[in-house]
Amino acid sequence: MVIRKEKKSCGQVVEEWKEFVWNPRTHQFMGRTGTSWAFILLFYLVFYGFLTAMFTLTMWVMLQTVSDHTPKYQDRLATPGLMIRPKTENLDVIVNISDTESWDQHVQKLNKFLEPYNDSIQAQKNDVCRPGRYYEQPDNGVLNYPKRACQFNRTQLGDCSGIGDPTHYGYSTGQPCVFIKMNRVINFYAGANQSMNVTCAGKRDEDAENLGSFVMFPANGNIDLMYFPYYGKKFHVNYTQPLVAVKFLNVTPNVEVNVECRINAANIATDDERDKFAGRVAFKLRINKT
Amino acid sequence: MVGGFSILLWVGAILCWIAYGIEYSNDPSSSLDNVYLGAVLALVVVLTGIFAYYQEAKSTNIMASFSKMIPQQALVIRDAEKKTIPSEQLVVGDIVEIKGGDQIPADIRLLSSQGCKVDNSSLTGESEPQSRSCDFTHDNPLETKNIGFYSTTCLEGTATGMVINTGDRTVIGQIASLASGVGNEKTPIAIEIEHFVHIVAGVAVSLGIIFFIIAVSMKYPVLYSIIFLIGIIVANVPEGLLATVTVTLSLTAKRMAKKNCLVKNLEAVETLGSTSIICSDKTGTLTQNRMTVAHLWFDNQIFMADTSEDHSNQIFDQSSGTWASLSKILTLCNRAEFKPGQESLPIMKKTVVGDASETALLKFSEVILGNVMEIRKRNRKVAEIPFNSTNKFQLSIHETDDPNDRRFLMVMKGAPERILEKCSTIMINGQEQPLDESTAKAFHTAYMELGGLGERVLGFCHLYLPADEFPETYSFDIDTMNFPTSSLCFVGLLSMIDPPRSTVPDAVTKCRSAGIKVIMVTGDHPITAKAIARSVGIISANSETVEDIAKRLNIAVEQVNKWDAKAAVVTGMELKDMSPEQLDELLANHSEIVFARTSPQQKLIIVEGCQRLGAVVAVTGDGVNDSPALKKADIGIAMGIAGSDAAKNAADMVLLDDNFASIVTGVEEGRLIFDNLKKTIAYTLTKNIAELCPFLIYIIVGLPLPIGTITILFIDLGTDIIPSVALAYEKAESDIMNRKPRHKKKDRLVNKPLALYSYLHIGLMQSLGAFVVYFTVYTQAGFRPSTLIGLRLEWEKDDVNDLEDSYGQEWTRYQRQYLEWTGYTAFFVAIMVQQIADLIIRKTRRNSIFQQGLFRNKVIWVGIASQIIIALILSYGLGSITALNFTMLRAQYWFVAVPYAILIWVYDEMRKLFIRLYPGGWWDKNMYY
Repeated sequence: MVIRKEKKSCGQVVEEWKEFVWNPRTHQFMGRTGTSWAFILLFYLVFYGFLTAMFTLTMWVMLQTVSDHTPKYQDRLATPGLMIRPKTENLDVIVNISDTESWDQHVQKLNKFLEPYNDSIQAQKNDVCRPGRYYEQPDNGVLNYPKRACQFNRTQLGDCSGIGDPTHYGYSTGQPCVFIKMNRVINFYAGANQSMNVTCAGKRDEDAENLGSFVMFPANGNIDLMYFPYYGKKFHVNYTQPLVAVKFLNVTPNVEVNVECRINAANIATDDERDKFAGRVAFKLRINKT
Repeated sequence: MVGGFSILLWVGAILCWIAYGIEYSNDPSSSLDNVYLGAVLALVVVLTGIFAYYQEAKSTNIMASFSKMIPQQALVIRDAEKKTIPSEQLVVGDIVEIKGGDQIPADIRLLSSQGCKVDNSSLTGESEPQSRSCDFTHDNPLETKNIGFYSTTCLEGTATGMVINTGDRTVIGQIASLASGVGNEKTPIAIEIEHFVHIVAGVAVSLGIIFFIIAVSMKYPVLYSIIFLIGIIVANVPEGLLATVTVTLSLTAKRMAKKNCLVKNLEAVETLGSTSIICSDKTGTLTQNRMTVAHLWFDNQIFMADTSEDHSNQIFDQSSGTWASLSKILTLCNRAEFKPGQESLPIMKKTVVGDASETALLKFSEVILGNVMEIRKRNRKVAEIPFNSTNKFQLSIHETDDPNDRRFLMVMKGAPERILEKCSTIMINGQEQPLDESTAKAFHTAYMELGGLGERVLGFCHLYLPADEFPETYSFDIDTMNFPTSSLCFVGLLSMIDPPRSTVPDAVTKCRSAGIKVIMVTGDHPITAKAIARSVGIISANSETVEDIAKRLNIAVEQVNKWDAKAAVVTGMELKDMSPEQLDELLANHSEIVFARTSPQQKLIIVEGCQRLGAVVAVTGDGVNDSPALKKADIGIAMGIAGSDAAKNAADMVLLDDNFASIVTGVEEGRLIFDNLKKTIAYTLTKNIAELCPFLIYIIVGLPLPIGTITILFIDLGTDIIPSVALAYEKAESDIMNRKPRHKKKDRLVNKPLALYSYLHIGLMQSLGAFVVYFTVYTQAGFRPSTLIGLRLEWEKDDVNDLEDSYGQEWTRYQRQYLEWTGYTAFFVAIMVQQIADLIIRKTRRNSIFQQGLFRNKVIWVGIASQIIIALILSYGLGSITALNFTMLRAQYWFVAVPYAILIWVYDEMRKLFIRLYPGGWWDKNMYY
């Protein structure tokens, strides 16, 4: 097995490269002549043009298979998740009472978040619905008829509405409000025609002790059926997501408290092992007092 | 084996671990994917290594079974006592005794000898037994008669000798060390694989760096960009290819072993395919290695005998009375005998006690006359003079089986001219006639003609002793020769040759059409060598040597223009006087060359000459002396039957049946494997793009990751393995034995068109097809393509549990994760489906699939079935095991990529069509890989 290896000097290598880049004898640039380059570029232009067209066509065909107002498959969203506001990093609600800046960002976020819930806006855009039953709006033959939404007034949030509130949702006094919301899922009849509510508790026993008492708005953490079903953002433009506000009144300061809120509804399981946010939400609460 | 490849994988594995280290230092909870990937890469290298080792160990075992590992003993006289000691304990100056059947334990100088004959064939290539005596006859130790060489065998007689060299200092030992000194360098396939690794690594690193720059300029943190860089490099590593190549090579090795080529070194499988010159031995390789009666001359006529392997068909005229006499001489004047206990074997296979010529005569007469032993029994032998080199004849006297004839019959055979001298009459058509000028001339013409064919000619004569002078009771004395040995009756001539194997001429023709030059290298006489070369086609019927031209034109040899002759017969003596330049010139300018009377050492010179011309040289050899040449050759081929252990050790391949035709089969397999490896690599490289693109798009466009690392591994080491091996079973597209041998520098395994076509054509189509499936899955679940763009950051945040899709629905992290895995599965299935199309198109490179036959290679379909089954198991069987990131995929998603699979097939058929339509054209040059 013999290969005679000719060692090339450095200069030769450079020379070879030079010749590869531009070969003056054959007028080749990078191993191809001008015409050859033209040919190959033209070929790739046509070829890739064709592929782009093909891709576009198949994507277009694919997009024809889905409708504008409901997704084709919703099996992944059988159990809606819960989420809190303010949306904080790692869902840690940390409030340093003395340090205004630590909670001011939360307050800013909440102000912005609750703005659409202002009674005036709600009154202007949304209907007053009959509580306790679903607000169903069948198309009645008119394809994709725009849907109306029910009012959820900010004042319903009581002490947590933040209207004329000098305590800034309680953040300045160490009695913060956390808002619970349930993920929107199109055509989902939450509660299966029975009333449902959100409950919160400390995750472990010591958490429960440290958590202290809290109040919920609307009372009992109720979510009314009239906010369901959701018809999708395209046709249910002014849909207002129902909220439950929890105001923690006397959290033991300087301790991290694990809080878990879950929804009690007939058709929402809250015990999914893999999805920790299915029908529930866990967050940390810490009030730092000096 | 395939070293560069393993290194590539090792580098990949280490990069993976580095990437994990970086991730871990940032975020201790980062996923372990990279660790797994690294581990799998390392495992692949190790397992493939073990497999290759096992394969080679298996052939080594077969090798080991050749050599009988009996420790050699020597009978030595020490302290005035005869002792038996292991031969490695001999020292210089020891006196050893040897007898017939012993192997000589060291180089010895003979002190006494009684009829000692040795077989030096393993050393000098000379197959005749050599007599040894105490006389110094030549300056050259190899030629002088008073030296016995280590490892040669003493055939008969006894001798005493003094040890002059032991171990590595013996003549054989020096050759062996010369052989081990010749470096064992890279095989052509190893070079090709290295070249391929360079390409892959080049693509990987440059892509990696480009995207590193892009990532950095897109304001990704540098650390992340480094992880991307590593990810891209690792994604380019074809994990499964090392295993595939190894398995493919060993499959071929197995197939070759079935055809009597035992491959010791897996890579040598392909080397044989790129061979451009075969330097072949004559005896045993091109010929049957047994003397066989080829021609007869009696009644003034030359008859041809059948020399094929089974001798069945002796059609010459057997009615003449002369033949009756001749056949009697043949059977009676012959000392050779069949070994007992072989009644069931065909005659040609029986072993015979006796020398080569007598064996030939015995078998010849046995075939024609039937039971020779019985005839001999009926014609009792009363006296005999065995053949010796001074008499140059052999004589025996028999009673005849004719009860009415009380005369003794004296039969004699020997060198024709000696026999003729003793004759006064000649038998023509069964009648004795006086031997006159004209018949003597006829004899000479026939003798010259048969000699000119390179055959060994024997003359036969007989005499019925007159009954009155030699009554039944007469006692013959062979020492005083009390019987006449002149005025005999000449009966006929018979010539013998070691005939070519019947398959060889075909094989040589095949070599020629395959552009392989066959050079014969033999120790035999030039005339014999040339005759055999002509009969097997190494020198073709219409080509002439310088001598032939000289004879035809009736001019002196020196006047002939050397370059007019296509063929050349060069003797060892001429070769000795040649400068390397002259040898190069000779090798380059003659297409048909025979080297005769060469010593095994000169084989090395010839091999080196061929290699200087840039040829890939295959060399056959059997003797110990051949081992340097075998080592030096690109592929050394040892003879399994006649070969010495040293030759087998030095060789890369062993021909189990010693048959030249098997080499040609090997060449065919070797070429096929090269073509099929090309296909395998093209197949494997293609999906690399489809695996890489998602990652690039993920970085640049910010889509949720389309396919995960573990999923990619399941393609590379799961669904794709059996199909890529299946390509090794693909039959040749065109007659691969009709094209020139591969040019080492120009015909690369992985060339530019192959890489471009795989990466930028098929690979890209696959990526597009897979992306369509990916988008389908996401869109139908609620995330339209427009939403997905730039979604990556939010998508991957664990604390975002209300990510909005295109319809305003909100998704928790786990819900998204599950969708992402469904995306992986869909992407995986899409690649799998398109790889089926890729597999089918890779069956051929030029011909249409329909020409090749869609169903001829059944293994391909096994491969396709395996792909589908593995994918089904992963998706539905393991769908609930989330660690592997597979989910149950909706049935219709399996078919989304089918249009792209069809497109791939159609596009490739089009490519092949244009290649066939415009050979040598622009399309052919750019598209044929």
